[in-house]
Amino acid sequence: MVRMREVLMTAAAAVFLSAAPAAAWAPAPAAAATPAPSVDLSGFWAPAMGSSPDPALVARLPPNTAILSDSGFIEFPQGEYGGLKPKPGALAAARAWKPEDEMTVSRTCAAPSIVYAMQGPFPFEIYQTPELIVFKYEYFDMVRLIFMDGRPHPPADAPHSKTGHSVGRWEGNELVIDTTHLSPATITNNGLDHSAQIHLVERYKLSSDGKALMATQWFEDPEALENNGARYMQWTAKPGQYVYPYDCDPSFAVNYGKGE
Amino acid sequence: MAAHRRSGNVKTWRMLAACAATMLVAGAAWAHHSFAAFFDPDRMVTVTGKVTRFAFTNPHGMIVLVGRAGKEPEQEWRAETNAPVVLLRRGWTRDIIKPGETVTIEGWPARDGKPYLRLRRALRADGSPIGVPFGQGDS
Repeated sequence: MVRMREVLMTAAAAVFLSAAPAAAWAPAPAAAATPAPSVDLSGFWAPAMGSSPDPALVARLPPNTAILSDSGFIEFPQGEYGGLKPKPGALAAARAWKPEDEMTVSRTCAAPSIVYAMQGPFPFEIYQTPELIVFKYEYFDMVRLIFMDGRPHPPADAPHSKTGHSVGRWEGNELVIDTTHLSPATITNNGLDHSAQIHLVERYKLSSDGKALMATQWFEDPEALENNGARYMQWTAKPGQYVYPYDCDPSFAVNYGKGE
Repeated sequence: MAAHRRSGNVKTWRMLAACAATMLVAGAAWAHHSFAAFFDPDRMVTVTGKVTRFAFTNPHGMIVLVGRAGKEPEQEWRAETNAPVVLLRRGWTRDIIKPGETVTIEGWPARDGKPYLRLRRALRADGSPIGVPFGQGDS
């Protein structure tokens, strides 16, 4: 309980700081918020590798969407983008990318954006209130605030970050999160990057027994991609566990250079 | 995102799942840097030697040892582990391996030929596994 209070207080402080400079996207009246359902997504969620996708969630994905098969431990080799169709500029950059460029002190602790980060083999915690939902990821200690109070996204030229700006709503028992303002970062961890124009939509729901959390992550990026992309992800409830600090150590990169 | 039915998606998912199963390198692949780009998933190297350093920080732990891979000359090898946050849940601790200890490491070698690998498993001198090997009780 104390930990939850700490997280929510931190989140509340972040809400204040992020809302302060831009009156245009201050919280909307409470009436604009969608009513919270009885479902509670709170808890510790560990990745469930190899889970069969939920057909109903997958069926909701829009057309012209490539569904990536790299969730969990799987990674694409260089030149494989899982059905995504990069635009010429993004493709040229991906082809010019060299994996050793990532093995530097300045790069090794540069977190990807949540586009790639959320599908990996790391757990996360959810803290839920009617107005605000917090996702606390183990990977790179990332924290996301999902505003449920009806506010809009900030202006297009507002600062971008690896976690972006997220607003959520309930559609029945499904949590739908809309995210913009993401800094350019990898999509497939092999040179293909999304732009600052990427728009992410996630849809979360619990399994009927409440022991599994299922989600689709869908994205469009008119600057980098000809088509759209999506991933299916699933996690298992692990009551009593919590995320560990990641506290990335960039000196790791030095080891690779020493292996001459 | 407008709700839209795509009946082909389920079939596509089954196909992708089958492909993914063939691509899966249990417990090894996902990293902050690309496993597929750095390491050869079709080769496996085994090195036995004496540990000179063990680091247990994210994004990857590091075992440095001086030893031999088969009949190759003795040299310094480095093996990066899965992220320690993952290994902590598999029984690893920051002092589970000590300098001076003889261990055997097995993993996927770097594509560029450096004496550097991605750890699949580590064994003590008596052959017992260090930590819980992947594939046993994976969540």
